[in-house]
Amino acid sequence: MSVQGLILGLHNFWAGQGCYLAQTYDVEVGAGTMTPDTFFRVLDKRPWRVGYVQPSRRPDDGRYGENPNRVQKHFQYQVIMKPSPADIQDIYVRSLRSLGIALEDHDLRFDEDNWESPTIGAWGVGWQVMLDGLEISQFTYFQQCGGIDLAPVPVEITYGLERLEMFLEQKDDIYDLDWSADVSYRDLRLREEKEFSEYNFSAASVTMLRQAFGACQKEAARLIAKDLLLPAYDMCLKCSHNFNLLDSRGAISVTERVKMISQIRALVNEIARKYTGGKVGA
Amino acid sequence: MEFLLELLTEELPASHIRSALDQLAAGFRKELGEARIGVSSLEVLATPRRLVVAGDLAAGQEDREEVVTGPPLAIAKAPDGTLTPAGRGFARSQGIDESLLEAVRTPKGEYLGFKRKSRGTPTSEVLAVAVPRILGALTFPKMMRWAESPFRFSRPIHGLLCVFDGQIVPTAFEGFKATDTTVGHRIAAPGPVKAADLASYRAALEKASVVVDPEARKKMIVDQIEAALAPLEAGIYPDPELLDDLTLNVEHPLVVFGAFPADFLSLPLEVLATAMREGQKLFSVVKDGKQLPYFLGVADAAEDAKGLIRRGNERVLRARLADARFFWDQDRKVALSKRAAGLGNVLFQEKLGSYADKTERLKKIAGYLCDKTGASDVKAEAVEAAGLCKADLLTEMVKEFSGLQGRMGGLYAREEGVPAAVHRAIYEHYQPMSLEDESPASLAGAVLSVADKLDSIVGGIGVGLQVSGSSDPFGLRRNAHGVCKVVLDRKLVFPFPLLLDRVLAAYGDRLTLERPAVKAACLDFFSGRLRFILEKRGFRYDLVSAALGPGIGRITDVLGRVEALASLGSSPQFEPFILMAKRINNILKGVPAAKVNPDLFAEKEERDLHSTLTVVRDNAGPMIVRGDFVRAQGIVFRLQPVLNTFFEKVLVMAEEKNVRQNRLGLLQSINKLLLEIADYSLVVVEGDRAAKPKAAR
Repeated sequence: MSVQGLILGLHNFWAGQGCYLAQTYDVEVGAGTMTPDTFFRVLDKRPWRVGYVQPSRRPDDGRYGENPNRVQKHFQYQVIMKPSPADIQDIYVRSLRSLGIALEDHDLRFDEDNWESPTIGAWGVGWQVMLDGLEISQFTYFQQCGGIDLAPVPVEITYGLERLEMFLEQKDDIYDLDWSADVSYRDLRLREEKEFSEYNFSAASVTMLRQAFGACQKEAARLIAKDLLLPAYDMCLKCSHNFNLLDSRGAISVTERVKMISQIRALVNEIARKYTGGKVGA
Repeated sequence: MEFLLELLTEELPASHIRSALDQLAAGFRKELGEARIGVSSLEVLATPRRLVVAGDLAAGQEDREEVVTGPPLAIAKAPDGTLTPAGRGFARSQGIDESLLEAVRTPKGEYLGFKRKSRGTPTSEVLAVAVPRILGALTFPKMMRWAESPFRFSRPIHGLLCVFDGQIVPTAFEGFKATDTTVGHRIAAPGPVKAADLASYRAALEKASVVVDPEARKKMIVDQIEAALAPLEAGIYPDPELLDDLTLNVEHPLVVFGAFPADFLSLPLEVLATAMREGQKLFSVVKDGKQLPYFLGVADAAEDAKGLIRRGNERVLRARLADARFFWDQDRKVALSKRAAGLGNVLFQEKLGSYADKTERLKKIAGYLCDKTGASDVKAEAVEAAGLCKADLLTEMVKEFSGLQGRMGGLYAREEGVPAAVHRAIYEHYQPMSLEDESPASLAGAVLSVADKLDSIVGGIGVGLQVSGSSDPFGLRRNAHGVCKVVLDRKLVFPFPLLLDRVLAAYGDRLTLERPAVKAACLDFFSGRLRFILEKRGFRYDLVSAALGPGIGRITDVLGRVEALASLGSSPQFEPFILMAKRINNILKGVPAAKVNPDLFAEKEERDLHSTLTVVRDNAGPMIVRGDFVRAQGIVFRLQPVLNTFFEKVLVMAEEKNVRQNRLGLLQSINKLLLEIADYSLVVVEGDRAAKPKAAR
């Protein structure tokens, strides 16, 4: 199997579960959870099923293309099912079987792991799913998002595509993965990892990032006042990414870090509050 | 008759399972007890997906006969023996036939009454009500909702099996009607499994690859580990906590033996063991104290016929060890002293600032402690270690494996060629992590450990952080236990209140509360922790109170005091002496301080007492300063015969004010001396029932 074969397999499987297949969101995010197809859609009462691939940027994880496991951008396959189906664990197990994994020959485990994202006021309860000791998915019953108690409760399943593919291809180096029959992960991503690592850790202009953070923050507040919640949320995502870059540049002091995260969270919570019509979560 | 209940859930965290089993056992015992259902046996079992209760219960409540009384016989019956309207009314109101009425003799006289026989409720009916109540009352450290229900539990619920005497109990929980069916292992045998009692349940599940008894699973793990390691004549690095968790993480344990490339053995043992344990939950294999290039994991599977589980774990571990080696190589490129410069960017606590601030305080506190504890030989080393000890928070290794903090700093310092006393102190300074953990072996390590923990406690209390019940987010309790343990283990003698002053001064104006209030709160907090520790060591609560009575001048003195009290507790002198001390204490209650003027002594007995006191005080004083409370107490006991005679012959409350004041002053001097050893008035002796205070947590 190749990475794109894996993506096609998951698309097929989750489309079969009634998921709408969203396209990748076009603003930098740290996780698939942060895109509007998850963030806004979990807030309201309407049933929602979605599956999509989301590139996830974590500037601090850059390793200049020299580490076989870690990259500053990886791909997540994100699934949201709202309300959480009673047999969601079985469905998930079937998704793995549909990829050709003979689970009888392996050790599949649901290990306690509770997830939270302070930046978007979100947390949930669930597991990391381990396959022969390898973490292949995050499985979370979403409890709160944007500071709002979620009802109905959505379940979020996030597959780490590279991890899963390394398992499927039995490879030890991420860059050895096949994206397609004749394009490797190395072809596609190595140069990007090298250059972005250099950018994330050394070249990015701290002055520019600070200005950008401040400008996006201001813009978000201005847009919230105009009830333009989706554009305002994009601004929050940009704040979050700029913050991550400043962090990887080592430019954020102790007190600043706490302050900046809570600044973004306050904006995001306000967006969520307005989006749901003023209801405030416990 | 056999009762069996299984609540089928999604995978529960191990800590939640432990807590749920305790709650279930207590809940069923309580409910069944209150319902008067006989319980011959009751056991609780579990897998990650099942909470199980099984027991041998009586068929039902016992039948009961109770006597119901009505109006007095004189009113209920006419002289001719027939029922009066009052008597008939009673029968009607109780809904019984008049023929059942009879005379009932009571201590108050004869009444009209009858015997009511009530049949006991069958156990099945009691269970039908009790089961949902007990399950619904379960609480967990972190609870969740799912789907569309507001109900909260540890993880979603999937079914309720509930049978009594072979029959399904007519009950339900959260929409799940009780059945006699569950399912087998999620992967190996997911089909339905029927059960009528514990034996058939156990057997049917065993066939479906589920071992329902945690003890049986633990034994399987231990046996398989032994079998795997026998050819190597090696053992696992003991990790009972990991073993317990793994037992509750799997339904069917399978021990998997794997290997990693031997060149990783160049990594420190601490790093290897942590990389294996954290994330992958693997045991490391050791022989004669040396790490071997093998590991043991516990899978949830019946077999690994193709070796895929082993190979998968080997691949993951190789990647983790490669990461660890990368960190080890990278981290060593930057000296700790250089790294420490970046600690200004690492938050210690929101209001208390960064680890750079903390480092500066630690240098001062550690230096002060060395001066005061006769550890000036290691002062330079302790202060140097204080400056470096937090630098490893900025290493990649500690960012990845936070449990290695401190130890990693020590290892990197050793690699840099930092003097042994310094790198050892860094390595040890988080120790002890609990009262059971070892104190630092080196003196500089002990000093730094105390300084670090006390700094956290004073800071935490100084910004209003509180310990309540099981919640202790800043680790104040653990840190205080650490301080006490190190001080007592290493016998560090120093004035504790002055050390608190030093720490408070080091904080400058960072604290949000006033210094005197913080100091008082710290002393109070430590007093509570010392009480906990000493009672845990087996000292009587009243002796601990007496030992804490004089306050915490030096932590070591509190132990010395209670040991002295305990050692003399059995001597025949002890009780009379305590009673004497209480008597003095009572006489002096509310008496203002008075001066002693030897010229005013009128009686021989008071002169004798005064001169004995002078001798005793001169002798005991230096011993008290040395902390030798056993001997000091022995000497003070010599006051007793003289005091006896004094009380026999001398009237303390003399008419003449001067004489009275003088005598009270004499008793105050005695009381003051006693209080330097212990507050004897708090010791409970025969015939003196002071209420036991609530045990401190």
